[in-house]
This record gives sequence, structure tokens and C-alpha cells, in this order.
Amino acid sequence: MSSPANEAAARASTVSSMGQTIPTDAEVGPPSGVRWGMVVDLDRCTGCQACVVACQAENNIALNEEQRVLERRAKTWIRIERYWEGEFPNAKARFIPVLCQHCGNAPCETVCPVWATYHNRQGLNVQVYNRCIGTRFCANGCPYSVRYFNFWNPEWPEPLNNQLNPDVTVRTKGIIEKCTFCVQRINRVQVKAKTEGRAVGSNEVQPACAQSCPTSALVFADINDPESLPARLAEAEADRSYTLLKNFGTDPGIIYLKKVDPHAKIEDDAHAPVETHA
Amino acid sequence: MSGVGRRRFLAGSAALVGGATVVACAAPERESQIQSFVFQPELSLPGQELWFATSCAHSSCGNSVVVRTIDGRAKKVEGNPEFPVNQGKLNVRSQAGVQSLYHPDRLTVPQRRRGLRGAGDFEALEWPEGLDLLTERLADAGSVVVITGPISGTRARIARDFAAAFGGEHVVYEPLESTVWRKTVQDGLGAKRLPYLDIANAGSILSFGADFLATWLSPTQYGVGYGEFRQGHGRRGRLIQVEPRMSMTGANADSWVYVHPGQEGALALSIAQVIAAEGLVPPDSWFNAVSAVGGLEALNAYAPDRVSARTGVPVERIQEIAREFASHQPGIAIAGGTALASTNGLDNGMAAMLLNHMVGSVGQPGGLLPNPNLRSGVTPPVEPTSFADLAGRGNTWLEGERPDVAIVFEADPIYGMPEATRFADALGSIPYVVGIGAIMNETLGHADLVLPSTHPFEEWGDFVPDPAPRQHVVGFQQPVVTSSISGRSFGDILLTLWHDLRPNLAPPWETMRDAVRANAAQVFRGGEFEDRWVELLKNGGGWSNEFAPEFETTPNWHINLLAQPAFSDNGVEFPLHLIPFEGVALGGGDESANPWLQATPDPISTATWTTWVEMNTSTAAALSVSHGDVVRIETAHGDFEAAVYISPAAAPGVLGVPIGQGHAFGGRWREDRGANVLASLAPLTVAGAGAFAWAATRARVRPTGDYRRLPTIEVFPNARNDVEEPVVQVTHE
Repeated sequence: MSSPANEAAARASTVSSMGQTIPTDAEVGPPSGVRWGMVVDLDRCTGCQACVVACQAENNIALNEEQRVLERRAKTWIRIERYWEGEFPNAKARFIPVLCQHCGNAPCETVCPVWATYHNRQGLNVQVYNRCIGTRFCANGCPYSVRYFNFWNPEWPEPLNNQLNPDVTVRTKGIIEKCTFCVQRINRVQVKAKTEGRAVGSNEVQPACAQSCPTSALVFADINDPESLPARLAEAEADRSYTLLKNFGTDPGIIYLKKVDPHAKIEDDAHAPVETHA
Repeated sequence: MSGVGRRRFLAGSAALVGGATVVACAAPERESQIQSFVFQPELSLPGQELWFATSCAHSSCGNSVVVRTIDGRAKKVEGNPEFPVNQGKLNVRSQAGVQSLYHPDRLTVPQRRRGLRGAGDFEALEWPEGLDLLTERLADAGSVVVITGPISGTRARIARDFAAAFGGEHVVYEPLESTVWRKTVQDGLGAKRLPYLDIANAGSILSFGADFLATWLSPTQYGVGYGEFRQGHGRRGRLIQVEPRMSMTGANADSWVYVHPGQEGALALSIAQVIAAEGLVPPDSWFNAVSAVGGLEALNAYAPDRVSARTGVPVERIQEIAREFASHQPGIAIAGGTALASTNGLDNGMAAMLLNHMVGSVGQPGGLLPNPNLRSGVTPPVEPTSFADLAGRGNTWLEGERPDVAIVFEADPIYGMPEATRFADALGSIPYVVGIGAIMNETLGHADLVLPSTHPFEEWGDFVPDPAPRQHVVGFQQPVVTSSISGRSFGDILLTLWHDLRPNLAPPWETMRDAVRANAAQVFRGGEFEDRWVELLKNGGGWSNEFAPEFETTPNWHINLLAQPAFSDNGVEFPLHLIPFEGVALGGGDESANPWLQATPDPISTATWTTWVEMNTSTAAALSVSHGDVVRIETAHGDFEAAVYISPAAAPGVLGVPIGQGHAFGGRWREDRGANVLASLAPLTVAGAGAFAWAATRARVRPTGDYRRLPTIEVFPNARNDVEEPVVQVTHE
């Protein structure tokens, strides 16, 4: 059931966001030198879900009602995956925040027949909502399962629609959506820096997830800037750095730092955990 | 009388709106007035964002937030980066404040009960009519009881003094109360205020059941410290979690240790015995502390080989824990959750506190540090009324000695008190019950009159974080948007009634804004007040760097070394331990009307929107049930249904059930969903503290033959980290 207000919100925000999402001459082309990326320290992450709700609030993500969860069609641009190792009393839960990896070699980009998803000059894997025709090829191609298809128009019963962020497009039925690294925040900082005649500070942009994270497990910045916090972390913690599903060769823009477990049984050089039993 | 009520109400409304225009950081004028763009409402420029600092929507969490508003609408809640408690960070519940503000099922007008109590049949009233009804009742009342959730600051002062002025008392209801830890701190540290835990600089944390990263006391504050504890400095801290059901904090521990429910104190004393016997810390550190509990001889009764069977922890494991804790100093030992919710909970807490004294972390950096006393004029957080006290009051009411009027705000005791206490009957025996709230709950559903309150983002207030971040802090709350409903704040309602009916006893201020300003002027002195006031609102509060040098008094030890936990049953008819737990999103259930929080996966099971029961593989096999099978969980005091989640971390014989569902009131996303585990618990109390021993109930399980697929985020139950290509990679230190 779609209310007029929801439809109006969807229409209005689609129009207002066009300038942000359609690739312009300035965006398409050789890399600018900036690559937005993130370091996720799994040793700090507690699985508290603060990032998940912060993302939903910032990015107008549709309500994941019970039926949507049961249908496996809940949308969470960032989610906390929980994996088990071992059994009671030696069971261990492992948490990992998974979001769009903004891959340098993104499998989703090459399969889109209408250029709805492309790589911009700043390393962002961009989704153009009003180009998307809903083939879902990209979602099938994504090894991280972070692209979400809109099977329905989103609904926010009034007055819940008051909370919608006017900076972010409301996605309608039939298109794919996913993490944008809060591109609206990147744009805002870049415009502000431009009007003030200065460069964007290396740690000036904060996506909603990183901003809320109580333990500072998520750190965002231009990872090509050696002075940025993620770049320094990745260098200082080189022994703990890895990328998700590296064998796919996707060149993710997200670097994970391994969970530290002083009692883990490390099996081989890859430091793969093994199951321990009581 | 009725005319006075109406006049006061209108005067209060005018003052509220008028006040909002004075302060630079306040919300725009009422938007309902049609104005041309020439007269654009103040601070409301089309498309321009404005940020207001105010309190978190959950006043007891101690966080301050900044709210982004555009065109007079709240859009996003962020942590207040200046505020010492949460330092710009937020938890899930604080994030969801904007959704409770615009909840479609918010109460918008006063309502009068039409049918039977609890039937949910109400008729709408105009505000003056609702206030007149209450005014008439209060005018004739001999005594009044004011029941609230945990509140502090000016609001708490008004509630307390209002109740006193009407010949009654203020009762603070906290479902899973912090009473036992407060008493542990009082007796074990000699401190009036909860201590600051210097987690960031700790070498180790030994937690007996305290889920401090998710729900215990001040999780955002502790989360900030935890990040530093893990990777903030050269040395990585060790976390050891001891509990019968794996919590979110337990899932993050380096060592997670199962212990039989109620035996946490015995395990703590056994760890103490190992530390002393093996000389893991110098004797001059622990001699005095151990002497206070009867010396090493007394502790020897808790040698690992003597308590291993009792606690369920192998001898070698106890020794390993002691060595790990002692070798990573400074260490912090804390107790919460099930450890304090057993009938011997106070002993468990004191045993944990003994470890702090033994390793010398009391008053030391990286340990437990004292919080400064509150400045004159600041009303501290009101201590929760203990479960035994509240249940006792209920019995007194049932016996006929009852107040004439009950006013309930931000508390839902009918939901949280076990049915065995008959608290719903007790509250129902009070001739007139008034509920004040933003959204319906079980207690409001039983009220005679329901008054819609403003949302925390629509009202004035102040709050005292508890525990404080080792600084003297008062947070301030201001309206960040103009209320879209005709609600009034709890404080404003009480002040209106007070001035109408007891003018001689009433305070000088007539509105909450005036009260908060007057309090701020008293507490934060020096310079021009208007400038200070604006600064306080802009910063979201005021704080100083006055550190308390040390704990003030000597601890008063009284560990009952022989106390054994008591349970609701001897284990024959009801063989399983029933362990209720607070989820990271729904907590005690007060926020379960919020769809973001309902849809937030539980960190352990990844389940959403329902009630499940965590069960060990062997327990499930014995019952012939599997994932999603619906079972009936029976106790001696009630029963309920839940779907089975087989957890690799669940202990045999232990049932973990989340709190928060099973409401009959509260709107489309809360009503008729899951079950309320609290209702079926035995009304046992913690000896010496009177708190609710909510982990002391035994249960049995009967399969129903029904199946209900669990709404979990994980695609495959018990998703495993692939050994060949692990998603979560792990390394040693």
C-alpha cells in the first residue's frame, strides 16, 4: 500500500538527487587520486549494531518488517555477520560488519547493461537509481551479497516520513540499492571545502556508520592519502590487514584488520581459525 | 477548579513557546501558523540544516546527542562530540530516537477509560478536559504515588517534591534493577556514586555477567573505552567473561567461561584463592583485603578443587582465569546480569569486588576510579525502588492501605513485574490511575486517564549521567523541534497541577523551562547568566575537570562465604534454568514499539521481531526439537511459547530467552508479538538488597508440535566461519 506522501517523497527525492548520482564529465575519467575507503578493525568491533541503525537512519532505508526478514529481503546496507567456531563450552562468536566493498575491480559494474553502476573517479562504486532497470545482474555478480533489490515501494506511515533525509534518494520498486559510503556527506564536505578554497581534510568525511561506532572500529577516509587514519592504520597493522574474499581479485576499498584471539588455535600461515571442541 | 486548570495549562503552553524564541539554539515557532515567506519562522530556512544539542531520547542512558533538523523536522541523531560520556558516539537505542518522535502510533490527545481496566477502550478528550479530570481527583486525594522510570535532575526533583506536597511518595521502577551493583559499590568501595571504570587503560576486565558492551549501565561510555582497551595503546587488554548464557560482551571475550547460575561468587572467591595461594600478586596487596573476609583460611574453602563441581568450571580453567587476570594488570572486576540477579547476588557482587582490592585496582588508573560528588543544587539520579519494596507496596495497596491517585510516567511495572506479584491488581486497586507517556504500554493501558507527553526532543530538562565519566557532568535537554501533537511534558503537567492545587507549597517556577534555567543558574555560576545558558544549551551540558582524588570511606565487607543460590524449584519438576536477557536493541521492552529496534538483529542469534529460546544441542535433542520448533516454557508461576534457536554457545540445561516482547499495547509494531518472559518468573529477591532475582527461576519445556521460521538475518542457522577461507580472520597478539 503506497500513500501519496510516500510517493511524493520518492518522486521529489529522485529528482533532487539526479545531480549527485548521474556521472558527469568531471566524474567519469581517469582516477582523481582520491580513493575513499575504510578500515574495519575486527578486534574493536563488538557487533553492537549501532552502525546498522545509523545507516538506516541516514540513508532512508525501508523498514525491515518481520515478513521482509522472513523472505530474506530485508535491506541493510551494512550488516553484522556472526559466525560460530566450536561448540559449548568453547564456542566463539565472530562478528564482521559487511557493506559494499567499493571494489576497484567490481564484478557488479561490468554486468550492468545500462551503466547504472559504475566506478567514479574517487573510487566509489556508484549506483544510479534512475538508470537502473532492475536486471539484478549486479546483485548476482556481487560476491559479498551487499546489493539489495526493491521488490516493493518503501513505506513510512505518516508522520514517520518526517524523518526522511532530504539529501538521500528514496528508492522505488524495481531497482537495486546499496551502500554509497554516504556520498551525500562526501559531496557536502567537498562543496564546503571548495567554497572555502581549500582541500578536503584527510579525515574530514564521516559516513554515518563510522560516526556512530562506539569503539571506533570503522575508520573512513581517502586511503590513497598516506596521512589519513585508515592508511596509517593499514600500514601500522600490516600483519593484521586482509581483504574479504581476496581470491576473487575484486580489489576492495575496505581493509579488515584481523580479530585478535590470544587463545585461538592457528592452523597455518594464513592464520585461519580452526574449530575447537570441548 | 476546572477553570483554573485550563488557565494554567494555557499559560504554561505560552511560556513554553515564548521561551523557545528567546534562546538562539531553540526550536522554531509553531509551524501550524500560516505565514508568508516574509515572516519565515525563526531558524527555519528552507533546506538549511540546523543542529541542536539535547539529551538522548532515553534519559537514563546518560548520552547527549546532536539532532539534525531541516525545515523544522528532526532528521538524524548523532552523538554529541563534546559530551564526556559518549564522546560523539551512540548506541542503537539512541539512534532510534528520531523514529519514536515520529511514530505513527504516538499518543496525540488525552484519553479517558471507557471500558474495563486493561481492555484498551478509551475515549478522546481535549487537553483542558483531561487536566480538569485529574485536578478534581487530586483536589480530593489524601495521598498520591508518583511512579517513574529512572530519572534525574530537575525532573526528578519535581517528581519527588510534588509527591511529597500531595502527601505521597516518588517510586522509581527499573525492570532489571541496578540496586545490587549500587549496594555492592556502597559496601565494597564506600562510594555513594557509581565508580568510573577506566576501561581504556585497563590490562584486563573480569566480568561476572555484566553485559557492559550492550546493556549494562552505560554501554556507549564503556564501548568508547573498550575500543582503546583493545587497540588504543601498545598493550592489548584481556577480557574474561563469566556467565551462564553467552551475552554480546561474552561473545567478544578472549575467554568466555560458563558458570552455573548463582555460582559466580564462588568462582570469584576461587580465583581469589588461586591469586593468593600462587602469589600471583604480592601479598602486601591482598593481605588486608583477604583478612577482611576471614583470611586465607576462609578462602581455602574455595580452592578450585572444592568449587569446581559447584560452579561447573574445571579446576585448570579456574587457575587459568586467575593467572590471566593477575598477569594483565591493572585489572577491573565487575558483576552484573545474572550474577547479581540470583538470590545470593549481593555476595556474588562483593566477591567480585574483593578481586579489585586484591589486585590493587581500586582508585588506580586502569581500575575503578571515584566519581566526584554532585555539586550543590543538582538532584542526583533517584535510586530505584527495590523489587521487594515495590512488591511490598503492592501488597499494602491490596490490603486497603492505598493512595488515592497514582501517576505513572516512563515506567511499565505491569509489564515488568511477574504476575505472581499481582502488581496489576495492586495498581488496579488504586481508585484513580493516571498514565503519562508518548506511546501506550501495559500500565498506561490499565490507567483511567492517559495524558500524551511530549517526546524528549520536544521538551526542556536536564539529567545527571550515572555512572559519570569521572567528571562532574550535567546534561541539558531542549526542544529541537516544535511538537506536532498537543502533548505536554511530565514536568510541565506536574507544575501546572501543583500551582493549581497547592500554591503555597509550589516552587517559584511555573514551567520546566523556568525550572531548568533556575537550576542551571544555581549550579553553573559566574559571569552573565544568559551567555552561560546559551553555552550550556549549545554544548548539551556543563562539566568540569574536578576529579575526586580517592574513595572517601572504608569498605564495609560482609561476604557471606557460605551463601548458596536458591531457586524457584528443586530442579525435579522444573529441571532447566530460565535465563531472561536484555537485548542490545529492545532492552527491557520499553522501546519495542520502534521498528528499527525490532528489526535490529540480536548479536548472538541474529533473530528479530519475535521471542525465541536459545537452547543447547543436547537439550534440544532430548526434547526432540530443532530450529524453529515452537515450545511451551513452563514455570511454577506461568508459561509462554517461544521458537527454538539452537545455539552452539548455549549450555546444557540453560534456556536463554530475550526480554521485550509480549505486549498488548503500544501500536502496530509492538502489539501481539512474541511473549513476555518476565511475567512467568518467580518473585524471588536478592538477599540483603531486595532486588528482583530474575535469574532464579527454573522451567520445563514441552514441544507444541508447531513450527515457526525464525526471522533471523543469518541465512543458514549456525553459520560457520569457513576454515579454508575464513570470512573473519583471526591472529594471535
